[in-house]
Amino acid sequence: MLSLIKIEWLKIKKYPAFWWMLGIVALTYPGINAMTYYGYLKATTGKEMTNNIAKLLLGNPFAFPETWHSVAYFSSFFILLPSIVVIMLVTNEYTFKTHRQNIIDGWSRAQFITSKMFDVLIVSVIATLVYALVALSFGLYADSLNANRWAEQLQYIPLFLLQTFAQLSIAFLLGYLVKKAFIALGIFLFYYLIVENIAVGYARFKLNDIGRFLPFEISDRIIPSPAFFSRFGKDAKASYDHALSIVPEHVVYTILLTGLIWFICYAVHKRRDL
Amino acid sequence: MQAVLSLNGISKSYGSIKALKNVSYEVPEGSVFGILGPNGSGKTTMLSIILDILKADSGSFAWFGQPGSPETRKRIGSLLETPNFYQYLSAVDNLNITEAISGRGNAADIDRVLEIVNLLERKKSKFSSYSLGMKQRLAIGAALLGDPQVLVFDEPTNGLDPVGIAEIRELIKSLAKRGKTIIMASHLLDEVEKVCTHVAIMKRGTLIVAGNVDEVFANEDIVEVSSQDTDHLHNLLNGFNGATKIKQDDNKVQLFFPQGTARLEDINRYCFENGTTLNLLAMKKKSLESKFLELTND
Repeated sequence: MLSLIKIEWLKIKKYPAFWWMLGIVALTYPGINAMTYYGYLKATTGKEMTNNIAKLLLGNPFAFPETWHSVAYFSSFFILLPSIVVIMLVTNEYTFKTHRQNIIDGWSRAQFITSKMFDVLIVSVIATLVYALVALSFGLYADSLNANRWAEQLQYIPLFLLQTFAQLSIAFLLGYLVKKAFIALGIFLFYYLIVENIAVGYARFKLNDIGRFLPFEISDRIIPSPAFFSRFGKDAKASYDHALSIVPEHVVYTILLTGLIWFICYAVHKRRDL
Repeated sequence: MQAVLSLNGISKSYGSIKALKNVSYEVPEGSVFGILGPNGSGKTTMLSIILDILKADSGSFAWFGQPGSPETRKRIGSLLETPNFYQYLSAVDNLNITEAISGRGNAADIDRVLEIVNLLERKKSKFSSYSLGMKQRLAIGAALLGDPQVLVFDEPTNGLDPVGIAEIRELIKSLAKRGKTIIMASHLLDEVEKVCTHVAIMKRGTLIVAGNVDEVFANEDIVEVSSQDTDHLHNLLNGFNGATKIKQDDNKVQLFFPQGTARLEDINRYCFENGTTLNLLAMKKKSLESKFLELTND
């Protein structure tokens, strides 16, 4: 196992796109959260009555412990960025035909898929580390009085890791089956940004919310929208409580779907001509 | 002597195209085993199967008497079809990966093989900056890593310049001298003739013949003669004993003899005594090419 990770690291550590991705993620996660934060500040600071009402309504989504939740939610919009790298890391093997050479040199076919799973895991862990750092920084910066509550809601760190790994696994499956980077990316973008959003929105109103079982939505639901969304009335509160209540259920679905994805990869790779 | 590789009834189809039809043979230890065949005859398909890149539809193969596995592949240095390396990595970084996967070689050995294939000076350059010939040489270098007992080379001289081709030929000869078993696919007859001890000839997925080079290409002696009147000469030579076949080719007549039995003096004397003087009398070695064409012809 360790040797597989070491070998993948040999492949990744000098791959420019990987470092670009890391750089962009390291800018985007703080970026999107800072934008939201300044939007929040703008709405809540000032002497008008509305400012005070806003402050009362929203609380501070970036203070401990809410920061773990809010930052996870906003950062997870950008799964697209690490997805590109994951798709490149698998389609590169086809382009360079190194998926063959690795086998010729003495890997088993299962080892090849395991090594790729470690790629996805490495990228997920890095994204999670960036997220955790950003959430921590906001918590300390936004409201230092609450710093003693840092250890509450830490479950969002493993949830974020699980969500990232699950969604990147979908990206991997696409890259693995389609083999061509740009086609895989195209399908991924079109589905992730457009098809599923429309389907989920439609199902929410017309089909008893059956859209929550679509591939990305399954894991999207393990990090519901931040708590302040619940403060806009009774309905909002009810739907927030419902969202929280189905998290454990969706954790199970997410693990099942991700397990299925990797099972498919192992099964296909065992049989197919390379 | 134990067979390094034995194939037993391997078949493979791509849709309706049968790429390999029931191919069986054995590669003896220490041989330089050439696999010859025109384009599309199934050479690479066969090598891909024994390296577990493709799955055979039926049949089996064994390396060192065991079914093929990652462990057997680690003992074999292979170059299949094209040099397959990470474009953004240098030669050394690529060989580090080969070494880590196969367990063959070490840092010093990487320098050794790069030296052999003349890439030591460019070892830090990215693979993508290499010329076709350099890429091919790196792939050969990767196969040599850790000095494996068995080497598989698919068209090893692809993309090389004449000097490079000669170097690789010498390399293969010296490896053979050190007792390595080399399995080599090629469509270049010259290459096979110069280095191989054994040969298998394939055509459209079928194994036509396999065995010792001398046996497969058991040559005939061919004698070419001509005189002023070719037709007359042809008639005259029909009366000459010992030739298995006589053929007229433009203004020359060719006589075929079993290997080692043609005697030019006898032919000369026979013609002269029958009143014909020859203006050409030459022993011609039958080329491997014509033999190959003959074997692969329909």
